[in-house]
Amino acid sequence: MLENLLTHSAFEILTLSDRAAQALAENPWEAAGYTLLALGGTGAFLSLLGMALIYVERKVAAHFQCRLGPMRVGWHGMLQSIADALKLLQKEDIIPEKADKLLFFLAPVFSIIATVLALIIIPMSPSLQVVDLNIGVIFISAVGGFGVLGILLAGWSSNNKWSLLGAMRAGAQFISYEISVTLSLLVITLLAGSLQLSEIVQSQQDGWWIWRGHIVGVVAFFVFIISSTAELNRPPFDLPEAESELTGGFHTEYSGLRFSFFFLAEFINMFIASALGATLFFGGWMPFHIGGFETFNSIMDLIPPGLWFAGKTAFIVFLMMWVRWTFPRLRVDQLMRLEWKFLLPVGFINLFAAATIVLTKLYFFPGQ
Amino acid sequence: MGYIDTKKSTKAKVTTVGNTPINVVIAPRSPSGADSESLLTTIFKSVKSLFVGMKVTIGYLVRPSTVVTQQYPENRETLKMFDRFRGQLRLIKDENNYMNCNGCNFCEIACPNGSIVITDQRNPVNEKLELERFLWRLDSCTFCNACLQACPHDALEWSDGFEAAVYDRRLLVYTLNDYAGPPVKAINRAKKKEDRVEELLATMEPRKQYGGPVPLAGRKMPGVPALETENTKDNASPKHK
Repeated sequence: MLENLLTHSAFEILTLSDRAAQALAENPWEAAGYTLLALGGTGAFLSLLGMALIYVERKVAAHFQCRLGPMRVGWHGMLQSIADALKLLQKEDIIPEKADKLLFFLAPVFSIIATVLALIIIPMSPSLQVVDLNIGVIFISAVGGFGVLGILLAGWSSNNKWSLLGAMRAGAQFISYEISVTLSLLVITLLAGSLQLSEIVQSQQDGWWIWRGHIVGVVAFFVFIISSTAELNRPPFDLPEAESELTGGFHTEYSGLRFSFFFLAEFINMFIASALGATLFFGGWMPFHIGGFETFNSIMDLIPPGLWFAGKTAFIVFLMMWVRWTFPRLRVDQLMRLEWKFLLPVGFINLFAAATIVLTKLYFFPGQ
Repeated sequence: MGYIDTKKSTKAKVTTVGNTPINVVIAPRSPSGADSESLLTTIFKSVKSLFVGMKVTIGYLVRPSTVVTQQYPENRETLKMFDRFRGQLRLIKDENNYMNCNGCNFCEIACPNGSIVITDQRNPVNEKLELERFLWRLDSCTFCNACLQACPHDALEWSDGFEAAVYDRRLLVYTLNDYAGPPVKAINRAKKKEDRVEELLATMEPRKQYGGPVPLAGRKMPGVPALETENTKDNASPKHK
């Protein structure tokens, strides 16, 4: 094992679905066990990560605003999220009388399913990935659209003008900013030459794309981080749930467990966007490598890939929180202007520049 | 809109109306061309201002000393209120517990909603009016500070006490002075002249916090401890625990 680590380029990809497929040839029960592990693991990860992210968000927000945040439940309020979750589970589940009952019930389920689907293809470490699709980047974009379907259904089925307005805003915002996200994803796809997330990670063995792709990589990263924040409906782009205008937007009528589904989906989507950013621009679980510096690279390899992934994702999550608690919220027209008049042209120019760079091999370490 | 530096571009001049000189401040106008600054300048300025904001917030995050939240019940012993905090009204007393207040009624007149009621009496020794009872209604007081501004004898102050909540409405109306009698000025004058000092001090009568006309006429209520007045012999505490 140590030998493998010390010799460069020794990462073998083994996803849970691969293990299940191998086991299926010998023992179907083992395959079923792997499937259950994937399901249970994803579910547990989803809820635990959601609670942890909510706690971190509250703490970070508090200290940005000269406050302390949760301090009472457990040491420095560590158990506050658990208390809140228990409270939320006990809340009365209210369905408006004039609501479309079926759609009202389905909307949060759609939202959370889209989140789970996106979560399973995130490569967290060479051995920790549920399934490794060869169209990973496209899959993430497609599933993101499924999530906004849940929001639109929630707005429609609530039979409430605020909900509908919020949902329409969410839809418009998502459709607009999805273009910019895709353009910045395409830049990395061009550089890496693959749509498969694990191969994109492997392609960054000589250096992460954000600095190997120099200017193009940095521009793509900023376009990605701005437009994915907008896609997540997080401030400064939280128009769909602008409290001052829409009292809560698409989830105005939701309470209890259904509301917690939306809430959880929102926070896990933040994690997914950060993890995707880390995977595409900062090398995912790939340690910090500089092509040719073998000793330096093997020292970096001593840190486990899972930690690299967690560190990079935490950095981007923190960046999103920092932006959220600093910037003022945009108006609807400003939001649309930013996308269509600024980010979209920048994204297209960047894509052409990336194509030129790939053709002329102007990025760092092109030979390897 | 262009950015206007008010400190630099504000001009002040003096005009005279009749014989009175009046300072006039000329408001700055938007410098010409500021509205038509280039797109790149606008983008640069906007992005720069965003980074300035991020620098400010990260400064708060990395310095825990900037936190202003108080962990109240835990730091009750060390909690210090602010200089201009208005807790409860209090009479200023010197080291011998003699008060400055001579019952001049200025605060009662200044009080906008009748939260102060003062009764005076004439001292039999020096034949002067003096404070008999200073009644303050915490329940109707708006903490407007008018009484402190009106007081010519520096007799009133605000205490730091902010834990004013009680379980009994009667406890919100109480007497501030703990004796009825001459103020510190009258006592000092008598001491200077060496004129019947002992007799003057002997005229002082004790006043209890809840001795005056309290709401519900100080009636006893079932399950509620009786209020301590000048007439009660026992020293039962009126405050609920």
